Amino acid sequence: MRNKLKAGSVLLVTLLLFAVGTHIYSNENMWFQGMVYLALAQGINILYGFTGYLPFGYVGFFGTGAYAASLYMTDFHTQPIVAILGGGATALIVGLLLSPLLRLSGAYFSIGSLAASQMIYYTVSNPALQAVTNGPYGMNLEAFYNPTASYAVMLVILALTLFTTAYLRYSRTGLALRATREDAVSAAMAGIPVVRMRIMAWLLSALIAGLVGGTFAWHISVFYPNTVFDLNVSIFAIVFTLFGGGASLLGPIIGMFVLYGLYNWIGISAPQYFQLIYGVLIVMLVLFLPNGIMSLFRKKGYDVP
Amino acid sequence: MTIRFSTRSRRIATALTLSASLSMVGMSALPAAAVKTPNQLVIGTLYASSGSFATSSISSYDGLKFWAATVDRQGGVYVKALHKKVKIVIKAYNDQSSATTAATLYNQLITMDKVNVLVSDFGSVLTSVAVPIAQEHHQLLFDVTGTGASFFTKSNPYLVLTSLPTSAIWPNSLADYLVKQKTKRVAVLYDTNDFDQSQYNTLVSRLKAAHITPVYTGGVPTSTTNYAIIDHAIAASNPQAVVEFGYPNNDIAFLQSLNANGVHFPKVFTIFPGQQLQLMQQNVGVSGLANTLTYPTPPLLQYNRVNFGMPLSAFEKQFPSVEHHPVDFLTVAGYNAGLIIQKTLETSPTLTQLGMRHAVNSFSGTLNTIDGQFKIDSTGAQIGERLPVGQLIKRGNGLAVKFLQH
Amino acid sequence: MVAYTILSGLLFGLYFSLMAIGLNLIFGVMRMVNLAHGDFIMLGAFAAFFAYTLWNMNPLVTMLVVFFLFIILGGALYYLVVPRLLRAHDPEMLSLILFFGLSQIIQALAVIAFGNNQRSIDYTALGSGTVYLFGQGFEESWVVVASVSLLAIILVSIYLYVTKLGVATRAVMSHREEAASAGISVHRVSAYAMGIGLALAAIAGVFSPFMIGSIDPTMGTDLTTTSFAIIIIGSLGNPIGTIVGGMIYGLSLMYMESYQPSWSSLVPYLLLFIILLLKPSGLLGRRMRNA
Repeated sequence: MRNKLKAGSVLLVTLLLFAVGTHIYSNENMWFQGMVYLALAQGINILYGFTGYLPFGYVGFFGTGAYAASLYMTDFHTQPIVAILGGGATALIVGLLLSPLLRLSGAYFSIGSLAASQMIYYTVSNPALQAVTNGPYGMNLEAFYNPTASYAVMLVILALTLFTTAYLRYSRTGLALRATREDAVSAAMAGIPVVRMRIMAWLLSALIAGLVGGTFAWHISVFYPNTVFDLNVSIFAIVFTLFGGGASLLGPIIGMFVLYGLYNWIGISAPQYFQLIYGVLIVMLVLFLPNGIMSLFRKKGYDVP
Repeated sequence: MTIRFSTRSRRIATALTLSASLSMVGMSALPAAAVKTPNQLVIGTLYASSGSFATSSISSYDGLKFWAATVDRQGGVYVKALHKKVKIVIKAYNDQSSATTAATLYNQLITMDKVNVLVSDFGSVLTSVAVPIAQEHHQLLFDVTGTGASFFTKSNPYLVLTSLPTSAIWPNSLADYLVKQKTKRVAVLYDTNDFDQSQYNTLVSRLKAAHITPVYTGGVPTSTTNYAIIDHAIAASNPQAVVEFGYPNNDIAFLQSLNANGVHFPKVFTIFPGQQLQLMQQNVGVSGLANTLTYPTPPLLQYNRVNFGMPLSAFEKQFPSVEHHPVDFLTVAGYNAGLIIQKTLETSPTLTQLGMRHAVNSFSGTLNTIDGQFKIDSTGAQIGERLPVGQLIKRGNGLAVKFLQH
Repeated sequence: MVAYTILSGLLFGLYFSLMAIGLNLIFGVMRMVNLAHGDFIMLGAFAAFFAYTLWNMNPLVTMLVVFFLFIILGGALYYLVVPRLLRAHDPEMLSLILFFGLSQIIQALAVIAFGNNQRSIDYTALGSGTVYLFGQGFEESWVVVASVSLLAIILVSIYLYVTKLGVATRAVMSHREEAASAGISVHRVSAYAMGIGLALAAIAGVFSPFMIGSIDPTMGTDLTTTSFAIIIIGSLGNPIGTIVGGMIYGLSLMYMESYQPSWSSLVPYLLLFIILLLKPSGLLGRRMRNA
């Protein structure tokens, strides 16, 4: 009960912040991208925090969702919301096709997923597929452009993502998943269907990235292939998750607010030293806070949601 | 115990979330108020200090800065709407060549800094995200070099391309030249991106209309850095002319590879020697560029009937000493964007964005700058310039251009 | 055309092996994923550029200087960051983030120091002639670079299989804990591995203007992913397997560039993906696979 209350209040405060944020600080795009990165960070969290698989090529699902949703809109004239659901479903199917990657471990998995995302990118952007994907010309959703509606849809997707993480944080399923991370063999012996659970987490995170990608495409409305397959998207989401601390609801939220906030703050106040400051910051964080901010609270004995 | 811990941790958690978000909110304290004072006008733009567009972006940004410094030395720009001279301030952020970051920063310029005039970063990729944002916020976007054809639509009045025609029509003169020279065996190599592939498509369809079917066509990834193998594949088709459409890096790598591996083609065309000759010369050398064809642009191409702003000779004299950067086409393009803005402010009776757009229409076709005639069509795309074809000829230690086709 | 494609694939394959071998050494010994690998290649490239343009220094001489400089730099970097990192919960994954941050720092400093423009070295600096192999003419510089690469790889093998430190290095690679309990100083071995790994990357950088094209401060990012593809195709954690990876990569890249250029950038990733799925430990690897 108490757990539910805690998680619920974190969830509510976060969503409320995004709901009213644009009235406090009117750069709506910054808030929108904050939601995008938070949802992606939680997607990474579901996979990495609970199973230990770090998908470097997570952006592959994001780009897949962006392209699929855009194509459903432009080629089949579907409603944007239906198209976004379609984008999520497409990412899910791609996730299913790529599920053999889960046989790999550690850095092998990370780099394998990176290769997969690059393969999708180079295929989608290839001129040979111009009739289907528009090749290097990218997508133009000008006819569907609606920043207010896409902002609202993103908020809903973020809510669902946060709710899912909160559920995994406290449910038996989440506990079982974490058991597979700590010691897969004992978990299997305790009757946990290790492989099925892992695939489930993988597909869930793929679905989230697909939905987010679709909504991002709708919001930005004009993009080139390298915009939605930019590896920095993966790296940002991973850094935010690790900085906050995985396997918790609050960790990635804090990670996103602090780091994305700083990113924008540096970008706006000291643009010329931007890359340098951000790099130094990341190195310092890894060296002095290697287990995430949440570890500080846990060390003190607080049970963070 | 547990009760106390949990409430406390919740409070801490909430406090942390809020205070962390303050780092986002706190930015509203940055100087945006400058806009309100009528003694200066704020021009907002982005540049890329790193990443794939950095070289070009910095050039064009320096050009714009040079324009602002020049007008400010003379007490500012005469703004018709205010009936007085007003100083120009440039507010610029660094997008690091990332379109996603650029989207947020364009939004920042419009919504938080409330800039009077919005100018896009270099090229189509970094301009693309600005187009819908500017339209949504009813902010006129001065597009310096974003020549992607899909940006320009009749339904969007908030866009003006200040230099260069849309990339798809660049190769018209090249096609005319090849047809006139009766070049039957043409090889076309292009990079698979919007800018280069649209030129490839235009060139090939114009050649086919003249019953010339290229003997070799190939699209390579924009990241290609070694052309040695591709050169051999092209050589196998025995062409009379080889056209390579790339970005500066690709043109450098392509010309270098011809130099190094001794493959020789009678005619070689690349885009960027005509725009960034100094950079190309540093990398490829005079002998590697001599006799190749290109689209010459200012400073290689001199427009004589300048009726607004500096002519080329004055620009070449003053620019390097102010910006400590050599003159290339993109510095001219950045300066030219400033001139178009200046003319807009001098002409427009209001400072509303649509008012400024109408003002641009009113002088379109009458303005001749260092970058040639400024003329836009109803979508805001540039139609005044046409890129000629020229050949680089060795002269002394440097290169000069011989015009082949206008 | 076919013979030319194959031979240039082999020449470039040797160079690609040199480019990637340092990354593999570091991963094998420390289980650290050096995402800044390509940036060290970039630093080597700029060293060659400035040495050549300022003092007209032959790249082969620059290579020797750079090699010793980067061994020291690598050792220092090791003691600065790695022991700290090893105390974390999941050092292998955290190393990805740490070296990503380092890569950002190096690129930012390089932009400040060298500017953004592309630079090139006169291609004749390593010889301007044409070398004929099996009736096909190749640029002399390619042949010089391929030979030096081969020599460097042989020296690395001698180091790993003959010298005392090298044998200890291999022991740490295969059984870290056992090696430590057998009295091997894991830190010392690792510091050397880091130094040699970065030094190999830097000397690959010295030759990159001749093999890869013009250089700029952000060229490293792409080279890092290419190097990853190569070492996984060969086998992660097995430096000698890198040669196999480099050759396969070089040959397939040249083949695609000759016959299907627009798909050529897909090659490394496709190969990597197929090999990972068929044989997760790489072509020459053992074990390293999950339940």
